Amino acid sequence: MSILKASWVKQSIRLFLHELKRGELTIIILAIVLGVASVFSLAGFSGQIKQALINESTSFIAADRILQSSRPLSAQESEPLNLTAMQEQSKQLDIARAEQVLMSSMVFAGDNMQLVELVAVSPKYPLRGELLVRKNANTGAVETKHAPAQGTVFVEDKILSLLQVAVGDSLEIGNTSLVIAGIAEQIPDASFSVFTSGVKVIVNIADLKATNLIQPGSRVTYKYLFAGSTNNINKLDEWLKPKINDAQRWYDIQSRQSPLANALNRAEKYLSLASLLGIILAAVAVSVASRRYGQKHQSSVAVYKAMGASLAHIRKLYALHWASLSLFSIVIGLVFGYLLAQLGLYAIQDYLPIQVAQTATDVADTSVFSLTLVPLGIYPLVMAVLTGLVCAIAFALTPLKQLIATSPLAALRDENTLVKKDGLTARFWQVLPPLSALFLLLVLFSRSIMLSVSLLLAGILVSALLLVIGRMLMSVSRVVGSKSGAAWHLAMANLKRRAAANSVQLVSFTIAIKLLLMIVVIKSALLSEWQAQLPEQAPNLFLVNIANEQTQEVEHFINQNGIVASDLYAVIRGRLTAINTDIIAKQVTKEQDEGNDNGRQGVGRELNLTWRTQLPKENTIAQGAWWSEQSTNAEVSIEESLAKRLQIKLGDTLTFQLGSDTIQVPVTSIRTVNWQSMQPNFYMIFSPAVLADFPASYIASLYVSKDKKQLMQQFLVNYPTISLIDIDGMIEQLRKVIEQVSTAVEFILVLVVLAGCLVLVAQVQASMEEREREIAILRTIGAKGALLRNSVLFEFIALGAIAGLMASVAMELTVYLLQANLFNMQTSFHFDFWLLGILAGACFVGLVGLLSCWRLINMPSVTLIRRTM
Amino acid sequence: MLQGVNLTVYKGETVAIVGSSGSGKTTLLSLLAGLDLPSQGEVYLKNKPLHQLNEEERSQVRAEHVGFIFQQFLLVNSLTALENVMLPAELANNANAKQEAQALLAEVGLSDRANHFPSQLSGGEQQRVAIARAFITKPDILFADEPTGNLDKQTSNHIADLLFDLNKLYDTTLVLVTHDLSLAKRCQRSVEMKSGQLVTQLASQESHTEQTENEVLNQPIDPTNIKSANA
Repeated sequence: MSILKASWVKQSIRLFLHELKRGELTIIILAIVLGVASVFSLAGFSGQIKQALINESTSFIAADRILQSSRPLSAQESEPLNLTAMQEQSKQLDIARAEQVLMSSMVFAGDNMQLVELVAVSPKYPLRGELLVRKNANTGAVETKHAPAQGTVFVEDKILSLLQVAVGDSLEIGNTSLVIAGIAEQIPDASFSVFTSGVKVIVNIADLKATNLIQPGSRVTYKYLFAGSTNNINKLDEWLKPKINDAQRWYDIQSRQSPLANALNRAEKYLSLASLLGIILAAVAVSVASRRYGQKHQSSVAVYKAMGASLAHIRKLYALHWASLSLFSIVIGLVFGYLLAQLGLYAIQDYLPIQVAQTATDVADTSVFSLTLVPLGIYPLVMAVLTGLVCAIAFALTPLKQLIATSPLAALRDENTLVKKDGLTARFWQVLPPLSALFLLLVLFSRSIMLSVSLLLAGILVSALLLVIGRMLMSVSRVVGSKSGAAWHLAMANLKRRAAANSVQLVSFTIAIKLLLMIVVIKSALLSEWQAQLPEQAPNLFLVNIANEQTQEVEHFINQNGIVASDLYAVIRGRLTAINTDIIAKQVTKEQDEGNDNGRQGVGRELNLTWRTQLPKENTIAQGAWWSEQSTNAEVSIEESLAKRLQIKLGDTLTFQLGSDTIQVPVTSIRTVNWQSMQPNFYMIFSPAVLADFPASYIASLYVSKDKKQLMQQFLVNYPTISLIDIDGMIEQLRKVIEQVSTAVEFILVLVVLAGCLVLVAQVQASMEEREREIAILRTIGAKGALLRNSVLFEFIALGAIAGLMASVAMELTVYLLQANLFNMQTSFHFDFWLLGILAGACFVGLVGLLSCWRLINMPSVTLIRRTM
Repeated sequence: MLQGVNLTVYKGETVAIVGSSGSGKTTLLSLLAGLDLPSQGEVYLKNKPLHQLNEEERSQVRAEHVGFIFQQFLLVNSLTALENVMLPAELANNANAKQEAQALLAEVGLSDRANHFPSQLSGGEQQRVAIARAFITKPDILFADEPTGNLDKQTSNHIADLLFDLNKLYDTTLVLVTHDLSLAKRCQRSVEMKSGQLVTQLASQESHTEQTENEVLNQPIDPTNIKSANA
């Protein structure tokens, strides 16, 4: 007899098909489907989002990786990192390259001249992001461009007014003359640095030689840009990193201490965390549903056994039944998850263009927008199938074993043999497979043993606590309930009587609500922190190079026009020459490097020094103390990261060279600085006694609304020496990225909430079955529908509220730990969310409970009794 | 729960086990059917020592010789009436399960209900399906646990008629547990349980006359036998 004709196969398939059609497997299938679908879509979606975010943000450096150097790469093959080898390697890895040469230079147009930042780029620049160029100052048409054609330049808006030129005019740069071909609206790698950004002029790298600007001793920065698939870029990383020398730097967007990198890192962590919570919720749903599956099939197993079916027969029958169920659910889950991920990606495609990595071979299409289906890769698929299998096997093992072990006696006696009192060891062996399965999933998904262990341990601890507290709370409610009306009385009595079953239920309600609250709270904390970073009136302009005698007029102008501005900070250039008695070796200065204010080069360059009487707003003292306002002592306060890097401690004496003067100052405090604030920030702040008498220029950051910009420009016409740096464009870009991240985060949130709701529904449904008989009995002895309805409703409301309360407490603890350890955020408390937790718990659980029992309560007693027999 | 019980049921005999709730009727039935094991004593079914057999072997014995009818009908809810009836036949690898099930359903008058699910059937109909299911393997012995316990008077009578008719037709030994004395009276013999002990064994007058033509009454074979069981 072929296996397909075996009676257990026939019976199993028949059972499966019928039960499927009759909706008896809906909850368990939904649980697995949701688990698989959410893992598939979360993994696929967040993978895409991460990639897209990185793509989007790499546009801030116009590449995936940059090799920066003060000298061009040597062509000599004897050097470890030479041009030929690098080109060869990039080619092999299918990585696109571009080059950039940066320097300062004077530019002339007729009688006018201006110091500009000259950016010479190779034809493929930018590799990431978009260089937007307007053909004409007046027409709005903006085009995406690469390098300007040979003989032409793109210039920033300001040049036109500074040099009194228009598109089509030529500029004299060094020994050559180049025609202005367009106005650069958006330069992808425009820097956030305010001290160094001059007005930019973009030229073709092929024209550089003709300018003859590069002479021995010229301060020039060479950048080699790389872009390719993550895999290949990582390979390049491995290849290149060991070869770089001291004069070279190799970096990507996330290694920059920019506001953006920070937002990205957190978003990535959030996405991973949300996915993990999604998995836990799905796992809880599966375990709840499989318990119910076991109970539901018990009487069938008893009948089979009474009729003489062998254990092997039943084992095979239910193994096949469960396998069909799991496979069916996994397939549906995959389809559903795929659609969900695509839907999510489609929904946010306007916010977040999914860029296909540009490779060396395909230069033409820089950004392919995802209009239809985005390949999600193999990883989400594998993860999803694995999740489905692990859930289906590990979580169902115990219920299935118990089901198969159902005694045939159960056919005669109405006893729930499933809820046998097991010993502690037996219970341990029962929870071991699901726990290890969960752990496996967490590790696979987070790839972090630490995070998985802490999530799991915290979960177990919380569950155990919940079991105890839940029972206590239910006892209390019983006492309270007995003093209220009949429905409440009944509800609380039920709650108490079913305390054992309920506390299990309570734990899953609580876990679901807790995880949901957690994800909501962290989301809003993240969003508000991001928004705080970019407040409505974040400074969008910097005034640099304000002379001492101009400060009053500038302040007057600011006050008169009601402009929000930072204080004016004195800027004095100086060099740190010694720490205590250690003389610091002079290094090549690279003042023109972008990101100077982030100080990656360390010492060896000139620093921007300032003096203050009061501690600036975005600064906090980490060690030591800020000087008193009247202090006449020579003191300096140093920024924390620099202090760490230079190993400077409180009390060290620093020697600075300011022009011809040498000053020696003791370090009296170490500050932390919020570099992400759009404020002038300084590594070294001196007490007034030290620097107040030195000649200084001043700097300020301002927020100038669009309508006042004209006014600002008019004002500045009188002060040609003051430079204006407009960072509106950059802020806009940053805002956009943060908006995208937020949208992504919200989408994930919806998925996790769905998973949480399913747990609640599954749990309520499961308990509904247990109380069918009871409702039948109460109904028969004449309990009114309203009484039954209310008693069920109140019972669930009470359960939901208790769960909500406990969830809030647990959430608060977890969020505190996560904020402090995982996200490195300011910790915060969220009592308003407690209310949300309790209310949402009570309403949702109550509603689902009521809906599930509505059908039961409204059934004629006879039907009800027959159903439960 | 049971003490000093000694009961022999002969082939073709119909025996009622009566007694009040908690007297041990159902326990006795579960021992007779090999659903449970006595802590002491011996149980033989078709000369097979059930008390020495493990669960699997007893399952095998049940599959070969035993049919069941339960108070709660215990149809598999997600199978149709027809499929429920087919079940035992399939367990026995009967190739004609479907045809035989259809024939039996016709006998219990439910041909038109073959594709209904239990929830779509009335209590009486469900029990008729259960009866059809019990007879499909032509068991040597049929155990019925309060077969009419969940039914109203009229339906009960109808079910009882059906049960006894089929019993006669298939020449099956029947052991039924009931506290319905009128049902018990239709059996050839009634035994009464009281606090786990078999107190009286009396031949029912009514059923005696009914069953006289059934010559198997005093057949010497000892198909089912229970001795001093202590369960």
